[in-house]
Amino acid sequence: MTTSHESEKATMDTAVKPSSLAQVANSQAAKTPSASAEGTGLETRGIHAWFGKHHALADINLNFAAGTVTALIGPSGCGKSTFIRTMNRMHEFIPGAAMAGEVLLDGKDVYAAGTDVTKIRLKIGMVFQKPNPFPSMTIGENVLSGLKLAQLKVDNKDDLLQECLERAGLWSEVKDRLGAHGGSLSGGQQQRLCIARSLAVRPKVLLMDEPCSALDPGSTLRIEDTIRHLSETMTIVIVTHNMQQAARVSDYTAFFLSDGGPGQMIEVAPTSEIFSRPKDERTENYVTGRFG
Amino acid sequence: MLEYLRPMALIRSVFQDELDGVSQSLVDLTEMVSLSIAKATAAVLTADLALAEEVIATDDQIDNYQHDLDARIIDIIARQQPVASDLRALVTALRMSADLERMGDMSHHVAKIARLRHPDAAVPSELLPMFQAMGNAAEKITNKIGLVIATRNTEMALEVERDDDEMDKLHRQLISTLVDPNWKHGVEPAIDLTLLGRYYERYADHAVSVSLRVYFLVTGKYA
Repeated sequence: MTTSHESEKATMDTAVKPSSLAQVANSQAAKTPSASAEGTGLETRGIHAWFGKHHALADINLNFAAGTVTALIGPSGCGKSTFIRTMNRMHEFIPGAAMAGEVLLDGKDVYAAGTDVTKIRLKIGMVFQKPNPFPSMTIGENVLSGLKLAQLKVDNKDDLLQECLERAGLWSEVKDRLGAHGGSLSGGQQQRLCIARSLAVRPKVLLMDEPCSALDPGSTLRIEDTIRHLSETMTIVIVTHNMQQAARVSDYTAFFLSDGGPGQMIEVAPTSEIFSRPKDERTENYVTGRFG
Repeated sequence: MLEYLRPMALIRSVFQDELDGVSQSLVDLTEMVSLSIAKATAAVLTADLALAEEVIATDDQIDNYQHDLDARIIDIIARQQPVASDLRALVTALRMSADLERMGDMSHHVAKIARLRHPDAAVPSELLPMFQAMGNAAEKITNKIGLVIATRNTEMALEVERDDDEMDKLHRQLISTLVDPNWKHGVEPAIDLTLLGRYYERYADHAVSVSLRVYFLVTGKYA
């Protein structure tokens, strides 16, 4: 990727010692990864990110075990969204953006030389804050659009279409109108359609950037149900500003904070610990709403 | 608090006021209970019917205060959705209020024995010092839990358990006296005194429970 910090990156690649990895691994031992989830999950080592000269994110070491849901919480501007965009190589789309560190999917660095970025994004899908179905496509076409773009072939598209819509919790609501345009659905349905679209290419990891912030409470709870079901077979990382949502859907929670400098990961632990006995005073102050 | 968090420190000031209000209500409830046990002890030691009636009437006020406090706590939980130490503060407040209400019940029971035996004295003269000591121990321990609630001092919270040893020691002495072959006051007074001793002993146990809940509130751990 293009970077104006190549020399700095090289230094950090050797200098960054992911000292918190062992701690993270220990805390995550509390959750047994789902037996149905493939692979060993996702791991970040010493992630730094820049926008031009602005150092946005510093030394993020996290381990997302397969079949778990991890919530990223923290005030606006602390680098949560930037962090997840480094994980499927979307960060590099932004002019002037740079990053350093490693993102390991099943042990392989997604930034390794020669890696096909398109294939990475098939394995690490993303759902955004605002539902973004293709407006001119039907519901069915939306779900299968990823296959077309990636030029993937499947034996039975109808079965895949139904499977993806069922896993996204949308099948029963749209099965009789698969030819309708995606834009005809409600906001909550559109977001689940986007989830179904992500699932069609069978990703191992799903990144969700505030997927419910534009939705009503009912739609939010349906998406949360979907997240819990999906986590049986895949790894999910969700950015959310909704503390109750983080508490409801995630197995682990990581708290990010910027003290005016680059965003840092302050604490990661099983979600029940973060919301009952956080170790860091800054985490306590944030989850209890004392600042943010 | 760290400097960069300071500008935002006033967020949830209303919620903080509500939490402070709950804590103050627990202190107020403790003072009501402390006054109640002090008057109940005086009533039973001096066979004072009017004082006993006053304690019995006060128990309704303690019960009502606890019900109002619990309703307020449930309302705060529903509206503010607290987590971490805030959630512990409210959940433990619910349990502390129940302990304090039971302490009020114990005072009430002591007063009822005084009323039952009036105009006679429920406590024989040779046992007055022992019950005075139990009353003093009960007041001391109640005043201390009031301080523990107000200050959230965990060291003081752990002291309360040791203070309770004094009450347990007095209770054991009382039982030894009552089962002594030389006991000369008969069965009925012995039953009264057994119950009285039990009320004071249970009273102090609830106070210990309150102090240990404060310890949990502060540390997130059981003592």
